[in-house]
Amino acid sequence: MRFGPKEVVKDLSFAVHQGEVFGLLGSNGAGKTTTIRTLLSLFEPTSGTLLINGKRYDPSMAAMVGYLPEERGLYRNEPVLDTMVYFGVMHGLSRSDAKKRVLAYLERVGLGDKAHERLISLSNGQQQKVQLGVTILHEPSLMILDEPTEALDPVNRSLLMNIINEQRGNGATVILVTHRMEEVEQLCDRILLLKDGIRALYGTVDEVKNTFGTTVIALTYNGTLPMNNKLYTITKQLPHYAELAWREGVTVDQVLRFLAGAPDLHLTTFDVRRPTLNEIFLTLYK
Amino acid sequence: MGNIINFEVFRALKKKSFWIASITPLVFILLVLGIEYFSTKSATNNAAQQEQAFSATAKIGEFDDSGLISQQLVAAQHITVEQNKDAGIAAVKSGTLDAFFYYPKDPTTMSIEVYAADTGISLSPPYNAAASQLLHQSVVSDVSAAAKNDQAVQILEKSPAVTATTYKNGVESEGLASVIAPGIFAIAFLVLYVLLASFMISSTAGEKENRTAEMLLTSIKARTLIAGKIISVFILGVVQLVTLAVPLLAVLLLFPQQIGLPAGMTLASIPLNVAPILFGALFFVAGLLMFTGLLVGFGAMFPSATEASRFLGVAIISAFLPIYAFQNVVNSPHTLVVTIFTYFPLTAPLTALLRNAVGSFSIGEALGSLAVIIAGAIVAVWFAVRAFRYGAMEYGRRVGIKELLR
Repeated sequence: MRFGPKEVVKDLSFAVHQGEVFGLLGSNGAGKTTTIRTLLSLFEPTSGTLLINGKRYDPSMAAMVGYLPEERGLYRNEPVLDTMVYFGVMHGLSRSDAKKRVLAYLERVGLGDKAHERLISLSNGQQQKVQLGVTILHEPSLMILDEPTEALDPVNRSLLMNIINEQRGNGATVILVTHRMEEVEQLCDRILLLKDGIRALYGTVDEVKNTFGTTVIALTYNGTLPMNNKLYTITKQLPHYAELAWREGVTVDQVLRFLAGAPDLHLTTFDVRRPTLNEIFLTLYK
Repeated sequence: MGNIINFEVFRALKKKSFWIASITPLVFILLVLGIEYFSTKSATNNAAQQEQAFSATAKIGEFDDSGLISQQLVAAQHITVEQNKDAGIAAVKSGTLDAFFYYPKDPTTMSIEVYAADTGISLSPPYNAAASQLLHQSVVSDVSAAAKNDQAVQILEKSPAVTATTYKNGVESEGLASVIAPGIFAIAFLVLYVLLASFMISSTAGEKENRTAEMLLTSIKARTLIAGKIISVFILGVVQLVTLAVPLLAVLLLFPQQIGLPAGMTLASIPLNVAPILFGALFFVAGLLMFTGLLVGFGAMFPSATEASRFLGVAIISAFLPIYAFQNVVNSPHTLVVTIFTYFPLTAPLTALLRNAVGSFSIGEALGSLAVIIAGAIVAVWFAVRAFRYGAMEYGRRVGIKELLR
């Protein structure tokens, strides 16, 4: 995908399986939103194709897709009910069905008494709930959520997480565009990480961790952590926390026994863990 | 598309600003008509003054079967006395006279007949008022005789009816009345364009400002959306026209003479010629479509309605330019400037509407101008669709024409 002389996304190929939560990750400007906009035919790809169920996206497929764009907004001077029904009908619902669903949704998210109020009179958090409702009202089989938790307060973030899980439970496929790795760890089955428009990571979360991360010993302690180049190297050290990579041929037991017997060191916790996606992300972007 | 039209129309109708914009011109017009109504008497005096003014230059004849006309006044106003009614009419047809007034035996039950040369919309003198005034002044000039004459008393109480017939090149023409039906399209075009221009711009600029464009474009085709918005603009235009026209029509029906309509002219007497009305409707719809497309496109190109509105003045001036050449458009339709205005897309709608109204259009010229306007409308709507399709997601910046054409 090219904008003038600048190539924004290069040689990208990926598949999203039905019923999974797929994380599209990357830092700002990595090409995530461009990829989604191209998938939804908002941009014409310079070359290649992006298909949904074997077809290029067309607005006639709107009933199956719920899209929460990165740049989002609603008609601030219109009543909540009118706005939501408008988008509901646009996504293939009948007016009466849309109205019924809107009222039920507003009740569920605690906005039952706001249906006839203008959006501008609602708080930011309440507007976010309305926005989310517009995205899921027609129960789409594919949800594309571009930075969905950006600027969400904790209550709405939790609500969104529940809704994503609920939709997934109903068999919906979710494409989650984000740079929040903790959300990816909680929700995603598979991920694609873009770096400068190029595919840097692709696979299940486990596969990515196995391929791109090193298992480390994480420990919390008091006192002085001794050096021992024969057994391990210290990869990260804070005043009371450290991560150690053990040497080849050395077992975790050997490291534990050494540290347990070390003078001036009191171990609080000792854990063997795989790296987080956040760590892999940071490593890739170093 | 029905969903878009429903949403766009009802949200506009719910806005106070829409109704303020719709009703304000009506208030002004009614105010002017009210002033006209209350100054009827002074208008009568003006008519007399005008009569004297143009009788000095115009050649007017009269024939009196009523016996009420003062020959002293006739002589004083340089009006000639014709041999009979037929001679007077023949003199107008041949161009010897500019106007001829025939006073029937009983003006209280029969209309005064005015026969005049058709001099076009801008130069038509108020002959009807002059004919009526001559009779009125004649009766007033001899009050003692008038007091003994029932007819004269009735004439003093109520102005007699006047019917007018105009001739162009010796053939009866419909005169000023024929301008009214097709002329309504020109007035409707001007009024709607002014009232709806900012709505046209904000219909797309608002989507950018509200950040709704992306959600819309994934739910509906850009051309369906733009078509829905344009139809909404037209529906709102009809609402505004009805809001303006119904009260005005009521006033015209109830107080035709008091508000300055020519004596003898009623709604029923307005000629309804199919060709000018049909062309008027086509020029009106195609012209409005072209400017709607253009302004909707501008709205999609700019990051906000405020920025897009800077070009509103340019769009309005270009549409209204033919007004500055009104005299030429009406009286000298084949000058170079009128020809350019007739076939230049932005000035063509109003020029065509005016020329169609005053009858200075040949069929060939009308079809040529219509073709230009329809082509302009197609290009403008195409531009609007493209501008929204590719400009609506450029939230913070203006999209250049070159980018849209790429």
